[in-house]
Amino acid sequence: MSFLTPTRRRLVAAAIPLAMLSLGACGDAETDSVQVGYRGTAMEQNYDHGDLKAKFAQVKIPTPLPPAGASPPGPLPWQNVQVLNDISVGEFNRTMVAMSTWVAGTGNCAYCHNIANLASDTLPNGKPLYTKLVARRMLQMTRQINGQYSQHVKNTGVTCYTCHMGKPLPNGLWFYSNQTDYLRHYLDRDGARVITQQVTPTNMNRSSVKQTEWTYSLMMSQSRSLGVNCTYCHNSRQFASWKEAPPARVTAYHGILMLRDVNQNYLSPLQPVYPAVRLGAQGDAPKAQCVTCHNGAYKPLYGAQMVKDYPALWGRAEWNGVPFQGLGMPPADTATAATDSTAKLATPVQPPVKASSSATPATGAATVGAGNMNRP
Amino acid sequence: MLEYQNLFTRVQVRTVPEAGIPIEDSPGGRLGTGTFSYLAGKLGDAQIGPVYLGTAGTFSLLFGFLAFEIIGLNMWASVGWDPVEFIRQLPWLALEPPPPQYGLHVPPLQQGGWYLMAGFFLTVSILLWWLRVYRRATALNMGTHLPWAFASAIFLYSTFFFQPLLVGSWSEMVPFGLFPHLDWTSAFSIRYGNLYYNPFHALSIVFLYGSAVLFAMHGATILAVARLGGEREIEQITDRGTAAERSMLFWRWTMGFNATMESIHRWAWWFAVLTTFTGGIGILLTGTVVDNWYLWGVKHGLVSPYPAQNNLTAEQQELLRGRYQGTAPDSFPTYVAPQPAMMLDSTALMTPAHSLPADSTRVDSLATPVAATPAATTTPAAAGPAAAKPPAAPVGGKAP
Repeated sequence: MSFLTPTRRRLVAAAIPLAMLSLGACGDAETDSVQVGYRGTAMEQNYDHGDLKAKFAQVKIPTPLPPAGASPPGPLPWQNVQVLNDISVGEFNRTMVAMSTWVAGTGNCAYCHNIANLASDTLPNGKPLYTKLVARRMLQMTRQINGQYSQHVKNTGVTCYTCHMGKPLPNGLWFYSNQTDYLRHYLDRDGARVITQQVTPTNMNRSSVKQTEWTYSLMMSQSRSLGVNCTYCHNSRQFASWKEAPPARVTAYHGILMLRDVNQNYLSPLQPVYPAVRLGAQGDAPKAQCVTCHNGAYKPLYGAQMVKDYPALWGRAEWNGVPFQGLGMPPADTATAATDSTAKLATPVQPPVKASSSATPATGAATVGAGNMNRP
Repeated sequence: MLEYQNLFTRVQVRTVPEAGIPIEDSPGGRLGTGTFSYLAGKLGDAQIGPVYLGTAGTFSLLFGFLAFEIIGLNMWASVGWDPVEFIRQLPWLALEPPPPQYGLHVPPLQQGGWYLMAGFFLTVSILLWWLRVYRRATALNMGTHLPWAFASAIFLYSTFFFQPLLVGSWSEMVPFGLFPHLDWTSAFSIRYGNLYYNPFHALSIVFLYGSAVLFAMHGATILAVARLGGEREIEQITDRGTAAERSMLFWRWTMGFNATMESIHRWAWWFAVLTTFTGGIGILLTGTVVDNWYLWGVKHGLVSPYPAQNNLTAEQQELLRGRYQGTAPDSFPTYVAPQPAMMLDSTALMTPAHSLPADSTRVDSLATPVAATPAATTTPAAAGPAAAKPPAAPVGGKAP
């Protein structure tokens, strides 16, 4: 130890604590802590300022296309339109152009269409156009989400761009594997809840610690997907308690229900349509999770309301309290009824979907409990 | 020479290694004659060995090695025998207990069979090591405080076998692995409604932290009186010198009460033993007697009630908008304005049966305008509050 003379030794001794102190300066340590609950309960949200600035700068929102002009009345002049057959010609074309930018990323129609025959579901050589088949189902899914899951997507709604962000494959697609057991619970189990609702053990809740770990993984994936703490949705002293949970938990709960619907009824059934290269190791279709839409933000695209400019994706008769005017020509009786009702709803009377949201917390809690009790 | 005779010494003696007292009833001999290590002398006594292994020690090491190998090889197999990945992922690798569907049945090797085998060998190894500690203590005519303290730790270890046995599933056992066993700890607490409300868990923490405090107090006191000969604790138990007198006086001055040179060691021993003993009781009660410790705490007045809902002040709402006020499309961060506390606490209330059809997610009927319009117009109760004000306006956000 001859190189360590007493002077050097003293220098080293002084340098180590200084170095440890200065390590705190590495990175952008600015953090906003916001108290969101009663004092002393650690109900707070921590926002890493630097991290968020970078993330926020990455979000690019496409400029909405100019509104569709006047369209010739009458049904759409094309064959084989199965989903967007309730909008005007102008709105249809506008939506198609927007989709090509949102999903194909190249603005090129040929990503989904046979250019020689746009109505066809196959290529000129007779091979099926899986991209078109998937896109058709995705349009139905988008309408389902915007129409049926207002408890989750609120007035923000989703478009193709929410997940795709200009790329054919969205982020965070997942497949069956031993690493995604916790995600599989979106599909296989009907509740993430593992905590018993009473003091003593009963046979009603036989949840294992292993299941708890899956729920835990699910919750952590949600936390990462949204860039929030546990306390964004829970009071961590009792994760199961709805009474002590912040209201955001209700939104998240409906998000889980939404994802289960999306995965079970829209994404998984597309399995026969995909070519093998798009399938997982177990031959299953790609599926969505929270991060697919959220991409690390508490709201996808930080709450940009893209869908309000694209009535073709609404799939319901009113939006934001504003009557849906997208039906240029009501071709069928259901559309007639919709137009009639929008006229009535133009009055300040709140849409019934909104009215039900005031009862959300109670019913949401009850549903969770029911799901747990029904589980074998 | 004066320096050597004090507790604070930098002198390391080099002479013939101390062989220890001869013992008649040892079934085996001591290995080696002992050697000296400079670095060991920096921490403790410089002499290493001789070591007594004996029958129990030999078999303990053997079974311990078996368990170690089973765990390690299973972990390695789990990364496809890739040595680089094995090192890289080692903290996250695990040998997991059987999946829940096996209950208390014997699973296949790959489905937790290896786990049960490793657990068995590890337990045998630990018990044999306890036997070795006990035998060595009696062979030296010592008291058996050490083996019984060790037994308390083994009791806690054994509850991680008996608790799964009582609740009827091997899957409840602790996985072998660095982070996996910590994850288990977290999941176990969450599954049983927050273990912090388990009073035996609380006692265990009291004794654990108490042990640390007692250790620090005792160590500090003895070091502080070492210049007066305080490190010769054993003599001062019977023959109090100035060091003992001063240390006791110091405690009485500062705390009003003092341990004796003997009782401090009993305090520390009991604190250490009770840490694992109360912890083990807490584990055994969990899932067998109590399934939700939080609700148990509510029932017995342990849980402090406080205003649960996030009734944010206007100032807090401004804070929630953070630095991104006006920058983000909908301001940042968002938070739904607090609603009146109307959420049912499903942890405390049973679900009423009639709430099942009222699933708020099934808005099919409401979303269809034909069905919804009469409902909104003919039912004043439903239309009234909704027309008055939307229930959830975004905090500080742009008006939609």
